[in-house]
Amino acid sequence: MSERAVRAARRVDVAAAGVLTPLQRAGLFLSRVWAWAFLGLMALFFVAAVPLSTGGAVNFLTVRNSQNILVAIVPVLLLGLGQTFVIIAAGIDLSVGWVMSLASVLSALAIRDSYDAGLPLFPAVVLGLLAAVAGAAFVGFVNGVVIAKLKVPAFIVTLGTSFIVRGVAYLMSENTTVIGLPAGVRAYGNDALVYLVGGPGGGIYFLARPELSGAMLRRMDILLPWPVIMTAAVVAWAMFLLHRTRFGRHTFAIGGNMDAAIRAGIPVDRHIVALYMLSAATSGVAGFLSTLRYTAGSAVIGDPLLLSSIAAVIIGGVSMSGGSGAIVGTVIGALIIAVLTTGLVMLNVDAFWQFIVVGTVVIVAVLIDQSRDLIMGRPKGGVRR
Amino acid sequence: MSDPILSIRGLTKIFGGLVAVDAVSFDVRRGEVVGLLGDNGAGKSTLIKCVSGVHRPEEGEIRFDGEPALFASPMDARRAGIETIYQDLALANNLDVGANIFLGREARRRRLGGLIQTLDDKFMLRESRETLDSLQIRFPSLTQPIQTLSGGQRQAVAIARAVYWDAKLMIMDEPTNNLGVPEQMKVLELIRTLRDRNVPVILITHILPDAFAVTDRVIVMHRGRKVAEKATASTTAEELVQYMVGARDDAAA
Amino acid sequence: MRKLGLFTMAAGVALALAVQAAAAADKIKIGFLPGVVDPFYQVMQIGVEKAAKDLGVEVVTQIPPTWGVEAQTPLLDAMVARGDLNYIITAPVDKDQMVGPLKTAVDHGVKIITVDTYLGDGDYVKGPVKFPLSYIGSDNVQGGRIAADGLAKAIGGKGTVYINSTNPNVSSVDGRAKGFKEEMAAKYPDIKVEGPDYNLDDANKATQQTAAALARTPNLAGVFGTNVFSAQGAGTAVVNAGLGGAVQVVAYDATKQAIELMDRGVVSLVLAQKPFDMGYLAVAFAAADAAGVTSLPPRVETGFAIIDKTNVKDPAVARFIYQVPGK
Repeated sequence: MSERAVRAARRVDVAAAGVLTPLQRAGLFLSRVWAWAFLGLMALFFVAAVPLSTGGAVNFLTVRNSQNILVAIVPVLLLGLGQTFVIIAAGIDLSVGWVMSLASVLSALAIRDSYDAGLPLFPAVVLGLLAAVAGAAFVGFVNGVVIAKLKVPAFIVTLGTSFIVRGVAYLMSENTTVIGLPAGVRAYGNDALVYLVGGPGGGIYFLARPELSGAMLRRMDILLPWPVIMTAAVVAWAMFLLHRTRFGRHTFAIGGNMDAAIRAGIPVDRHIVALYMLSAATSGVAGFLSTLRYTAGSAVIGDPLLLSSIAAVIIGGVSMSGGSGAIVGTVIGALIIAVLTTGLVMLNVDAFWQFIVVGTVVIVAVLIDQSRDLIMGRPKGGVRR
Repeated sequence: MSDPILSIRGLTKIFGGLVAVDAVSFDVRRGEVVGLLGDNGAGKSTLIKCVSGVHRPEEGEIRFDGEPALFASPMDARRAGIETIYQDLALANNLDVGANIFLGREARRRRLGGLIQTLDDKFMLRESRETLDSLQIRFPSLTQPIQTLSGGQRQAVAIARAVYWDAKLMIMDEPTNNLGVPEQMKVLELIRTLRDRNVPVILITHILPDAFAVTDRVIVMHRGRKVAEKATASTTAEELVQYMVGARDDAAA
Repeated sequence: MRKLGLFTMAAGVALALAVQAAAAADKIKIGFLPGVVDPFYQVMQIGVEKAAKDLGVEVVTQIPPTWGVEAQTPLLDAMVARGDLNYIITAPVDKDQMVGPLKTAVDHGVKIITVDTYLGDGDYVKGPVKFPLSYIGSDNVQGGRIAADGLAKAIGGKGTVYINSTNPNVSSVDGRAKGFKEEMAAKYPDIKVEGPDYNLDDANKATQQTAAALARTPNLAGVFGTNVFSAQGAGTAVVNAGLGGAVQVVAYDATKQAIELMDRGVVSLVLAQKPFDMGYLAVAFAAADAAGVTSLPPRVETGFAIIDKTNVKDPAVARFIYQVPGK
């Protein structure tokens, strides 16, 4: 064994007889909750600073803004959900942004063409979802097979497919945008479960938008838009899958020690294919929802979202070296980015600052992840493939 | 004595022109700890990999539990009941003890009338605790990732896993390497416990005190050949060293 | 000219109302959300801020870092979530895709004025999208025709020309390419038009695309760059190929770089839009609407300054070159 490995093994012995010292415990606790704390502190900052800077005209802590933030996290979060599984299994999927674009184009074409062929709106929209998810999952299948069976690094494979998918999305769309969708599609992407009108003459309305004008309109809050509800359902499903099922356990095992997973009889190759299909599928849902929201398919829609989604996953505490992470972390990561964007706009600070802050937070997140290794005494250069 | 659980006859493995294992024969019986000794490159690991399905031998016969047993893969060997324990290789350090013992064979519960199945962590924790107790292994916490455990403790987890899944033969490759002295003692103690439970063990080692501490019998290899097979009680360290360096050779006589 | 008349009327309305509006307008707040960071929108922002100062209204500005609905929409949503904005002046980055998000803003009681680019077909009275108050921008089809005439003249009425554009489905550059092609087809039968290629608002990509067009068509006579990035890229590619002067470039948008290239003989014609006017008028319209004015025109064309070598030094023309302080 190398000298380094011997040293690492010795450190393991010294560091842990199975009991963590109070200092280790505190360090671990901090490394787990810092993202929550950061989100909370940032929100508190905006809650205080926004009214101050606007003389009380603008408030951060409003029903409307909470909904705005929920809407804002939808695409980043959906791209990040599948990615969370992939990175926990020590992989990476760089194709999610363009897969989302392809799914957006596919769903728009499916909705438009089936509606034009006489299908009623709702079935046409469902068909759009199926087309988006199936098309995306196919790309994920190709990613997974090449990575698992041909042993090409995930970074290279998904980079390659992202270019291919990009080209296909351009070719399938008409000059990058698919328009001419039935106008009713807009309601699916922008309408909501609840409408709340405060003040005199107000009330609560379900499903249907109340007919209002002027000052009343300005008091209306739109709660739980359909894309948010659908995303929440996907998040709940992803949490269950990752933390409560054998599939999730195997995902952690593969990321923790691929050799151990193989020896334990886990069908690792098949599992990896499934992971990349999952990653593509959640991106497909993101593409579908963007088609509803913008009433058009776009072959470029996901391009700016790839890096944000990976940032959300990392900020959420998923270790890039695999083996650890949680869905709730990715949700927090996406929230941090959305709260930041919204808060800065409300403070009327340049949107560019968000890049600087997000970049800093990403690096801090990785440092914290590494310090966790140090605290836990995880041997460096460990046992991964 | 009972029939041998493992019986090897004339096993030969050739890499290119190099004869790594040269017509080796030996038996292992239930409840017996057999030491496999030899210097680096003596062919111990290659021999063991032929048994555990990693390599396919060119010649010779392996019978396990009375059946011909040339395994096509390590998985096949495991399914038949041969557990090979490598240091640090077969555990997922990011998972807890229960998850590791049940890795790949997780217990599940049906929910919503069988519609979905979730992991039964409670069951796995309970079973793990019972197995560890029966082996007199004590951890302060079974729900921490095992990377917080010491090397010896992790060996114990691997052994507990093999015991829980009813391994019929355990092969341990240099299990005390890189361990502190108290940890080494713990692992040797576990090997004795296994023998008491009638689980046969092949212990690969080049550390003579370990071999004397726990084995019933030792087999010494030199340059791919079996050069000695002795009851541990009837040999000495000096004698074994002479076999290991090639100064003595029972087979050549 | 009808368009000039409309513009004059609009300007008149705005000015006449300015004083009156200022009194009522101190309660209104306006959000300004252009398409992307470039000199054109920076000049527009100066117009917006000047009007805000003159009329005593408050303006908050957010500029998307990149061109695209996924960059513009989150900023729009956050502006709406502020809850204190009465008007949002914006250049929609897609004439179809931004309908949904902007309608949501309207549903929250925010009124929309579009500048430079429009939603739907730009006809807010009879067209598919009716909710914006007004569109204030260039007549881009007309601009495309002017560019075609200018380029045809520069290359002697025959040869092959190439269009480099930014994004499809953006009303402004779509219109320019359309007008350009129509004019060429109608008046210059000996000129063949290639393109457009779309550079997605990336000057580097525009350079590559133009270089490829030059390689593909060795006798290429002229290039039409439909906005800031296209013209920058087209000009750079022509200079890099050592074809300055041999290949004529017509540039939409009077950036300093375009004017420099004109001095060096690469660019023969620059169409200066009037982003300052667009920004100023839009704020004036918002103030007027808040003051109760109901006869605001739903479409205002701000016209062009056509810059070539003969008039580039004329102060009356040169003032339309996009000047951003500190740039």
